[in-house]
Amino acid sequence: MAKILIVDDEEGIRMLYSMELQDEGYQVITLPDGKDLLEVVDREHPDCIVLDIKMREYSGLDLLQRLRKKYYDLPVILNSAYSSFKVDLKAVAADYYVVKSSDLTELKEKLKIALETKLPR
Amino acid sequence: MHVPSPQDQYSRHSVMKFTECNPQSVNKADIVVAIPSYKEAASISLPTKQADIGLTKYYSHKSGVIINCDNGSPDGTTQAFFDTETKIPKMSLSTETGLVGKGYNLRSLFQKAVELSAKAVIVLDADVKNITPQWIRNLCEPLFDDYHFVAPLYVRHKYDGSFTNNLVYPMTRTLYGRRVRQPIGGEVGFSGETAKLYLDCDYWDENVGQFGINLWMTTLAVKSPGAVIQSFMGRTKIHRVRDFSADIARMFSQVVATLFELMCRFETYWKQVKWSRPTAVFGFGVGEVQVPPPVDIDATALSSAMREGLQKNWDMYRQCVEEPNFNKLEEVASLPDSDFEFPTNLWARILFDFGVAYRNSAVPRDALVESLIPLYYAKTLSFVLDTEAMNTQQVEELVEDQCLQFEKAKPYLIEKWPTK
Repeated sequence: MAKILIVDDEEGIRMLYSMELQDEGYQVITLPDGKDLLEVVDREHPDCIVLDIKMREYSGLDLLQRLRKKYYDLPVILNSAYSSFKVDLKAVAADYYVVKSSDLTELKEKLKIALETKLPR
Repeated sequence: MHVPSPQDQYSRHSVMKFTECNPQSVNKADIVVAIPSYKEAASISLPTKQADIGLTKYYSHKSGVIINCDNGSPDGTTQAFFDTETKIPKMSLSTETGLVGKGYNLRSLFQKAVELSAKAVIVLDADVKNITPQWIRNLCEPLFDDYHFVAPLYVRHKYDGSFTNNLVYPMTRTLYGRRVRQPIGGEVGFSGETAKLYLDCDYWDENVGQFGINLWMTTLAVKSPGAVIQSFMGRTKIHRVRDFSADIARMFSQVVATLFELMCRFETYWKQVKWSRPTAVFGFGVGEVQVPPPVDIDATALSSAMREGLQKNWDMYRQCVEEPNFNKLEEVASLPDSDFEFPTNLWARILFDFGVAYRNSAVPRDALVESLIPLYYAKTLSFVLDTEAMNTQQVEELVEDQCLQFEKAKPYLIEKWPTK
């Protein structure tokens, strides 16, 4: 069972995503901010991270840069209410960018693709 | 007549002869900045000077050398290079008489970089007009942070780089699974280990020796275990103005032939690749971001060239393109310019059909690759019409969406590709 880490400062989003993604058969863990992100990733080894961009004290884009330094190929999906961050070059380092919506079809599709992605090493 | 076997060719190219001019007797360098050239006497001074400033400003604690890799230019390019005053030592390498091409220049560079025990090698085009010292830092820095290959990332106008946007990027990403946005960008950086990897590769031919070199380097780097990064250059590259018309067909054919040849050689690798992974970016927040200069495309001329070329090549397409795709292609060709559209899914499948035809040598390979040009014009025309009202960011999203369509079509390629 793939383990998904949701990082979002909105409790409602964390609850909605947890329920919907658990229904899809994923194991879900959540974080309310980026404070302990690297430690949680070290400990929990998630298969994919769904990362909010605009959090109260943290920028998802900056967290992504920190993640990429240590986890070159860990799938990360940026998830924001705003599409404007797409122009930020830091977003290029994410696997996908999904604009938040009450319909999670796109997020689920990108999650599936991110988890299926395979590069020989 | 003795026809050399492929193996003869590899051994012929494994060690390449070149003439070296090394007035300061440099025999070791941490950083090599290389400027490949042919007849660039009027332009080479600028990148040489900027490389000198960049190395002095950012890497005074490391040893460096600037190398001009030339093809024996008759216009005094190498002299102009040496006449440029620099603090960093310089040397030149010149390929054998008659051997012309960027790839051959870089082949001599790979050998020299290994001899010098270089940790980082930067390549700059000789005719670039707006290079800054920052470029040296952006291309070099990741190589001292465990990355093995640095590809450039530019902000480009929506019609600049159509060949990259519509063909080279989606194909490379789909095949090898790594998103390198400018796989044929001229400015790159690579580690000493990667230089060795290039020297050890047993695939080298005329196309790689010329315009195919950048794709060859990117592909080998992407499929090697070393980490790859993109470096944001801030500015759009501006070249010296020259008449590209004669070079366009040659460039297209050499790059596409290299793409297909790499496909044949690395089939075991790309068949295992599913979807794609992003590549990290270095260099935001440094230097200014410029608005890319506009690029005009004459849609009427493009349409004429496309329709004339399609007419000429229908027999070839009938032989190489699978019937359902061929039928769709006929439908697309019948559309008037006002409603012209070349669906990306069809374009991807046709490119895959061409790759398979190349692999099978179903028709002469040179003619096959050349016949792809009108189809590329068709895709470019469709892209221009689609994106007329879009800004750079919207076009970027469209390119990403096209890539996803290529990736979704990949099972078709795997199904059609003959098993060994």
